[in-house]
Amino acid sequence: MSLRVDRVELLRRYERRLQLMVPADPEYLKVLPLFSGVPEKARLKVVEKVRKYIHLVEFAAGDTILREGDYGDSAYYLLEGAVEVVVSPAVASASGIRPQVRGGAHVPAAQRPGARPEARGMLGRPQGTGGTVILSDFPGEIVPGGRKLLEPGEIFGELSALSRYPVSANVRAESVVKVMQIRLPGLRMLMASSKEFKKFLDSRYRARALALHLRHVPILSALDDKFIDRLTETAELVSFEPGQVIVQEGAPADAFFLVRGGYVKVGVHTGSTELAVTYLRRGDYAGEAALLLDEAWPFTLQALEHVELVKISKQDFQAITNQYPKVEEELWREAVERLRRRGAATRSPISSEYVRMAMDTGLIHGESVLLIDLSTCTRCDECVRGCADAHGGQPKFIREGIKYRNWLVPTACYQCTDPVCIMDCPTGAITREVGTLEVTINEPTCIGCSNCAERCPWGNIVMVETSEKRPDGKTVELATKCDLCLTRPQGPACVQMCPHGSAVRISFKDLDRVTATLR
Amino acid sequence: MKAVPVPTRASLALRPKQPVNLLLTAAVSAILVLAYLVSAYVSPWSPKRGLGLVFGFLAALLFVFEMLYPARRPKARPFFTARNWIQAHVYLGVVAMLAVVIHAGFSWPHGAFGWWLLLLSAWTTATGLAGVGLQKWIPAALAEGLRVEALYERIPELLEKLLAEADALMEDASDVLERFYRSEVRDALSKVRPSWSYLMDVRGGRDRALEPFRRMAQFVDPEEKEKLEDLTSLYTEKMELDAQYSLQGILRRWLVLHVPPAGLLMALLLIHVFGWVWY
Repeated sequence: MSLRVDRVELLRRYERRLQLMVPADPEYLKVLPLFSGVPEKARLKVVEKVRKYIHLVEFAAGDTILREGDYGDSAYYLLEGAVEVVVSPAVASASGIRPQVRGGAHVPAAQRPGARPEARGMLGRPQGTGGTVILSDFPGEIVPGGRKLLEPGEIFGELSALSRYPVSANVRAESVVKVMQIRLPGLRMLMASSKEFKKFLDSRYRARALALHLRHVPILSALDDKFIDRLTETAELVSFEPGQVIVQEGAPADAFFLVRGGYVKVGVHTGSTELAVTYLRRGDYAGEAALLLDEAWPFTLQALEHVELVKISKQDFQAITNQYPKVEEELWREAVERLRRRGAATRSPISSEYVRMAMDTGLIHGESVLLIDLSTCTRCDECVRGCADAHGGQPKFIREGIKYRNWLVPTACYQCTDPVCIMDCPTGAITREVGTLEVTINEPTCIGCSNCAERCPWGNIVMVETSEKRPDGKTVELATKCDLCLTRPQGPACVQMCPHGSAVRISFKDLDRVTATLR
Repeated sequence: MKAVPVPTRASLALRPKQPVNLLLTAAVSAILVLAYLVSAYVSPWSPKRGLGLVFGFLAALLFVFEMLYPARRPKARPFFTARNWIQAHVYLGVVAMLAVVIHAGFSWPHGAFGWWLLLLSAWTTATGLAGVGLQKWIPAALAEGLRVEALYERIPELLEKLLAEADALMEDASDVLERFYRSEVRDALSKVRPSWSYLMDVRGGRDRALEPFRRMAQFVDPEEKEKLEDLTSLYTEKMELDAQYSLQGILRRWLVLHVPPAGLLMALLLIHVFGWVWY
């Protein structure tokens, strides 16, 4: 039986979808309940601003609208027809985490037969993105393996888009369906202009996801259900725009912050300059040390991009420490470790320079960034040849890119924490299995639309000509990118094939290793 | 607080990447020499029998292993990293040379064939070690001394772009600046100029080459100063590309001195072994 996918048919369906995707008419939008929370005077203005992010899309019966495990960047407002939500048993399991083990480079070396310990260091984050939480975008009453029909007026996909968590279920069109696709910027604008809409989305986040989110913060995992319920009611959901200061160094510490989405810079003033000590991303938290010591904020938190945070008040935090001595103990341990790191960072401003460089260049988004030490690299291109050998003769990266001091950041996929390339893939050819590191392109279902290549902010996806021809005679170009040599048990060939040990893979979250490596 | 001395590039080039391997090689070499001394003391040394023959075999085996270096590629290589391979290639190459010398009993060969074998072994080992030195010296020089990094194959293309950029910059320049560009700069920008001198100093000759630009600064109008600065930076970039091209070229071409003689050595080695078996 042939498993070959008809690329031409996939392309035809995609082009048909594009034709059916039309910008929304402002007159049509302003009467929708979605905009009812926007004050009447400002409504038309808001609609005009938001409409470029809103499209009316039609799906045929059976079409997939959202795929489980994909990263979404849109919310869908159902206008006509019905959609079926199917939650697989693995996703809906009590823990909310799926097993992370899959054959390939991300698997910690010790778990792979015949793997060598040094392979562990190749990836920067050997644990992969393990522990990835899947938040439910859908009503909690859907049982594992069960299904539910959503009808006109329902909204779905918004949690995944706002928090950049993988989508928790498959959504298929049950009949011919008309939906309003609201892209992330539009969703944020709507939330900023309509208190009612923000309240509505926040309440859904509270009801469907916050408890699970809190349980997956390691230091809060010991809290009982009752306490978690209390936090889900009292915690504040706040968002900040790029550059906005969240807390100012020296101001009284009044809350504990948990990052829901986006990146936050942690800066400390030394003399007349501010040193970037580290950064926080999804799942990270801040404020425990200041609250435990009952002192002012020892650092400034600043949003690097649009940031969504969960704010737990000082009173709630103190209730946690009073009620759960073990949690308090853990918090003290964590606080001491962080103080140690912050002290090290302020003593050695060089590490701060690395953090700033990583922020400026976008390397903080990478889970596994390839770096080449130019002071030892003999430009022999063995890394590129190794890559080509591992991928049927086609290298997946280019030994050209940003130069920082003695280091080259080649044009190779960073395996971003929030892979935006996945969001715009019309056939679902780009995927990242939940809990793993590699973002991969499934060649048979790639139709060469180049959405991913255009969307990748770092230019790390390249369109490569193939020998295939389209019906119109044009050469088929397919997207190609580094997949961390997923099928190669020894790990990424670029690192292993470098005769001088000049190629390393690193995550900038692991600042100790970054400092030790880049020194 | 005591300042940590910054190592010179020469000392870095001489410093082994894996000191353990150097120590191990030194220890093995000492044992081999000791074995020779003991054996030569006990009975007269001959390359055709006893330990002399063993050393001959050892040298031949090691040279065969050295020739297997291309097998490090992923498809053919089931074990170890490329780094392990190159370390083994370098250190076992030195041991192979020592084994040849011991095999000959630390004496000069008698016939022309023996001389060829000895000289080719010495040449291959020497060029290999020189290559190791270059592979340490040049990357450090490129990384420390230059701002520009470019792929060797793309340098001519990048130069063409630089030239086009400079031409565009000079399009509406004043007569003085335009004449200076045509007579002194354009030709130098138009083609890559490799030089061995970059081996000693990657920024060598820069001050002298930029001197006309500095002199020119007094003849251009204040509003054209920026244009001249842009032209200077394009020229500087071109010199950096020249240095990249020269040094990356050396990194590629030194293998010509190493690989073909090594192939010839293998052929002669085969004849040597067959000769011994036959007679």
